[in-house]
This record gives sequence, structure tokens and C-alpha cells, in this order.
Amino acid sequence: MRYFRLLKSFFAVAALSLAAVHAYADKPAVIRIGVAQQGNGDPPTFGGSPAATVQLQQSLEKEFAADGIKVEWLFFKGAGPAVNEAIANNALDFAYQGDLPSVLGRANGLKTRLLLASGVRVGIKIAVPTDSDIRSIKDLKGRRVSIFRGTNLQLVADNALAANQLDERDLRVINLDSASSLAALASKGIDASVNDYHLYKLRDQGLAKIVYESQNDGPQFTRQAHLLVLDDFDRAHPDVVQRVVNVLVKGAQWSSDEANRDALFKLWSKSGVPYASWQAEFANQTLKDRNSPLIDPFIVARYKAVAADALKLKLIRQPVEVDNWFETKYLDNALRTQKLDHYWTRYDAAGKPLG
Amino acid sequence: MSETALDAGNERFGHDAAARELPAASPRRNARLRALAWRLAPWVLPAVLLALWATGCERGWIAPQILPPPERVFDTFVELARSGDLASNTLISLQRVLVGFAAGTLLGFALGAALGLSRTFEAYVLPSFNALVQIPVLGWLPFLLLLVGVGEPLKYILIAHAALVPVTLSTLQGFRQTPASLDEVARVFAYKRWQRIVYLVVPAAVPTLATGVRLAFTKAWLALVVVELVASSEGLGYLIVYGRQLFQLDLVMASVVVVGAIGYAMNRSLDALEARLRRGQPSAFRE
Repeated sequence: MRYFRLLKSFFAVAALSLAAVHAYADKPAVIRIGVAQQGNGDPPTFGGSPAATVQLQQSLEKEFAADGIKVEWLFFKGAGPAVNEAIANNALDFAYQGDLPSVLGRANGLKTRLLLASGVRVGIKIAVPTDSDIRSIKDLKGRRVSIFRGTNLQLVADNALAANQLDERDLRVINLDSASSLAALASKGIDASVNDYHLYKLRDQGLAKIVYESQNDGPQFTRQAHLLVLDDFDRAHPDVVQRVVNVLVKGAQWSSDEANRDALFKLWSKSGVPYASWQAEFANQTLKDRNSPLIDPFIVARYKAVAADALKLKLIRQPVEVDNWFETKYLDNALRTQKLDHYWTRYDAAGKPLG
Repeated sequence: MSETALDAGNERFGHDAAARELPAASPRRNARLRALAWRLAPWVLPAVLLALWATGCERGWIAPQILPPPERVFDTFVELARSGDLASNTLISLQRVLVGFAAGTLLGFALGAALGLSRTFEAYVLPSFNALVQIPVLGWLPFLLLLVGVGEPLKYILIAHAALVPVTLSTLQGFRQTPASLDEVARVFAYKRWQRIVYLVVPAAVPTLATGVRLAFTKAWLALVVVELVASSEGLGYLIVYGRQLFQLDLVMASVVVVGAIGYAMNRSLDALEARLRRGQPSAFRE
């Protein structure tokens, strides 16, 4: 009996280690992609970026169906900060995240590679109740303003305040997540909300007016998002990473084609953000500018600026190295094979078109 | 559990004695050793947990981003204390909890007394009260946000609500446990209703009330942290959220330790107060 038990546990260990080795060397059973947004609906979806297009069109699911690899999209109400925790716990393989949260993660030793941009030159908006006397950023002094700290909204907000000789301490900042901030604004529990395209819905319902849109002040007042891969997964499955990047570049191309503008906003409206909001959000920008996957000098400069600002504002305690963070070989391959090398405009560090 | 703790304490002390090369322990020494072991016993479990935490971090059982090593947490704690952030946030939290707790306790006494003294009031109100208290604090939050916004009143209301429930229920119970024999004596002496309340009902209820108040403080303290987690920009609960959002889990852990320590200290002082109240009670009410 005892020998039998010993034998049994031996087989169990052997089988387990074999499975582990197998999983490492061969293809993964599942690809887990974290999304730094709450998501909407069941199954949850999101909008506003090429990554969202890919999720809504189920392009990755189709790409990997033949191999029997499942694709899991995991949404996080706690946004970027919660995604960092999942990365630290090895609960994800890829993540769609904003610039600041990823910098915070890297500052604390998370091992990730940035593969491509997805959703860039995105502005922040500041909205106030319709009967408010706040007309510009300067009027925010001493008021109750909600900011979702630790997300990529925060730094742009801080920079916009600084441009008006203010900082967070001059306001009464209340830390609220995106949904709570909208609810608080609607009930006038706060004087202003620093938020994103979700504000258009409140505006269209007559509950708020928008007094500031940062993208109008230039590309240095925008935030960027990207797709990243965990180091371990990248080392174990470079072929899978390449295929994921291929699909995302294809999605970025479709999302950048002005002929699809209408179809794109209709697709994204499935995520619960109305068509009209997307129209407003993209009104003054071309799809190519917003949905370019390129890691160009502009993107690298933005991430460096975010890392420097985060250090200055004491959001991180040691400098973050940015240059070696990007892994562009997959993106370069995808652009070459899909003949998209010159499809998107490259921008220099100041945001001016190159060549 | 306490036995092993005792052994560990004894052993530690034994080594010390050997090192100092003292003669064999006398019976009186033995008694003192045992007394010391009892005093050490409560520290054994925390020490083991701390050792486990330190080893876990050193061996990489847990990602250091999720559970930072103890020395890192300690450094953060020192830094927090030195910069004054700890004191200012703790003061804000304490102020919130005291206001909310005081309001909740007073309301709870009033409501519980009314329920305890009037069967009619009880019949009308108690079932609804019991149903309403089943709703967790977070369930009230969206509604309250709409009513009072995200300012200080929201925090006071939620903390008061948390304290109100145990105080009300223990007041009600306390008011119903006047010893029957004393009741009879009161009837013989033809006590008026107010005399009965002042000389019998209230003194008999004191120990139960004290327990209720102590429980209420624990609930209020927990509610405070929840409230600050949701909507706030200062306080100990906020430090926890802020640390999480900046992915500085050492800040989270340092704040958690402070929250736990303050809650424990408050509980202990209320405990002592309760014991004194019990001792001061006339002997007729003791069972």
C-alpha cells in the first residue's frame, strides 16, 4: 500500500513536470491579455484603440483557433495599477496599458517589453456641471476636482495644471475611478472631473459641459497606450508574440483607414460608449494619427518624458530606463510583411512629421 | 497553541540563563520564568509570521512587488513618519472615526433605549431596522454619494451607521436583562417607572452596553478604512489606495500595519474601560 502511494506520487510529479516542460517549450494553451479598463457588457468589451478593434472583431481568437489556443481578455476596474498587480503575479501574458502605469510597474521591477503603440495622442478632458462658473483650468483653484491617480490621465492633468501655474495641491483633489467620477459629477458632488471620452455622454445628456480638451494644446499634452508582453512569455513563445503583433498591426491599419470611420465608431459603440462620443473624440484628429502602432521618436520621447515627470512628482523613487524597454523587431516584421512601412507618418520627438 | 508558545518562551529564556552561567534555578525562579513565558506567549505568533514573511521574500516565494520585504516596509514607515504624512493622515482618520463613532453611539443608545422600553415602538420599528442593517456599507454608497456628495458628511454617516447597529442591539438587549428578583423588589417598593429605569434597568445594562460600544468601535474603524478607500484624498485608508495605485505595495503594507496597530490599541483601551465599569457595578447586579 505504501509503495503504491509512493509510486502514485512519483507519477504525479513526473506528469506535472512533463506538462510544465511541455507548456514551456511548445505552444501555450491560452493567451491572457490584460486590459487596463473596466470594460462594458458581458463578455466585456472596450473601444477607442486598435487593440479594442481587434478584441471586438475577435481577430486574435480567429488567428489562434486552428492551433487550439484560447484567447482570454481580462478587464480591470482598477485600470493600469491593477494590471501591474496581475503582471507581478504572472497572471497575464500581454497587457494593454497606458504610459504612466507601465512606468510605475517598470520602476518597481516588472519585466516587460513594449511591442507597439495602440491608441496615441489621446487627450484628457475636464468637465464641470452645466451651471458651473468654471470656464478654464485657472478657475479650478481651490475646487473639488476628481482625478484617477496612478493612471495615464494623472500626468497629463498635472502638466496642464503646471502650464497654468497650478499644481495638484492648489486644488482639492479627490481620487475617484472613472465610473465614480462620472457619477459624482452628475450629482454635483465634485466641481470638476478630469476624465476621458466618457464625459461626452454626460455632456450629451445635458449633465455636464467640457471646459478643456488637452489635445488642442499640442501633442505634449496627450497620453499614449501600448501593448506589452511579459519577458517570460516573450522568451518562451516568440512565434506567438509575432502572430499577436501581426494581428494588431492589421487591426491598426483597419482602424486607421478613413473609409472605415463610420464602421469603426459603430464597432466601438458596442463597448457602451455611444457613436456620438467617438465622433466628438476624434473630431479634430485623423484616424492615422490616433491609431498608429509606430514606435517612432515621438513615442520614445513621450515615454521618457513620462518617466522623468513621474520621478519629479515623486510617483516613482528611482529613474526608469526607457530606451531598452521597446522591442520593435516584431513590429518591424509585421510592417514589412504587410507592406505598411510607409503607411503611417513618423513623428519626431517634438511631434513634427518626419521626412 | 498556547502550550507550544509557552515552550518556545521557556526555551528562549533557558538559553539566556545558560549563557550567564547561573546556578540551577530555584522554585521561585521557576515561577518567575513561567510568568515571563506567559507574557512572551502573545508575541510568538507575530514573530513566526514575520519570520515567514522575511523568508518568503528572501527565497522569492512571492513577487517582491506584491509583498515587499519587511525591512523595505519599515524604511517606508520611517520615511512616512519623518515626512509628517503619517501624522497628518492618522489625525484625519481619527477625527473622522471619532465624530462618526460618537454620533453613531449616541443615536444607537437612544434608539436601543426606545426599543428596549417600549414594546409598541419595538413592534413597529425593530423588524425594519433588522432588515436594513443587513445591507453592507458599500451598498449604501452610490445612494449616499448622490445625497451628500463625496465630502466629510459621507464619511461621518457611513461610520456612524457602522457604529449604530451594535450599540442599538446591545442597548436593546441590555435593557431587557434586569434580574427578575430585583424587579420583584422594585414592585414591592412601588418604584415609579423612572425610578425603575434609573436604579435598575440602566445599571443592569451597563456591561452589555460596554461590550456593544467596544464592538461598535471595531466596526467604525473598519468602516473608516472602507470609506477612505472609496472616496477620499487623505487619511490612512487613502494611503492604502494611493500606494496601490502607484504600485508601491510597501506603502500599502506600512499603512496596513498602522491601521492594525491603532485599531488594536483602541480596542485594548476600551477593553480596560469595560473591565473598570464592570468592577464598579453594585454587587446586586453581578450574577
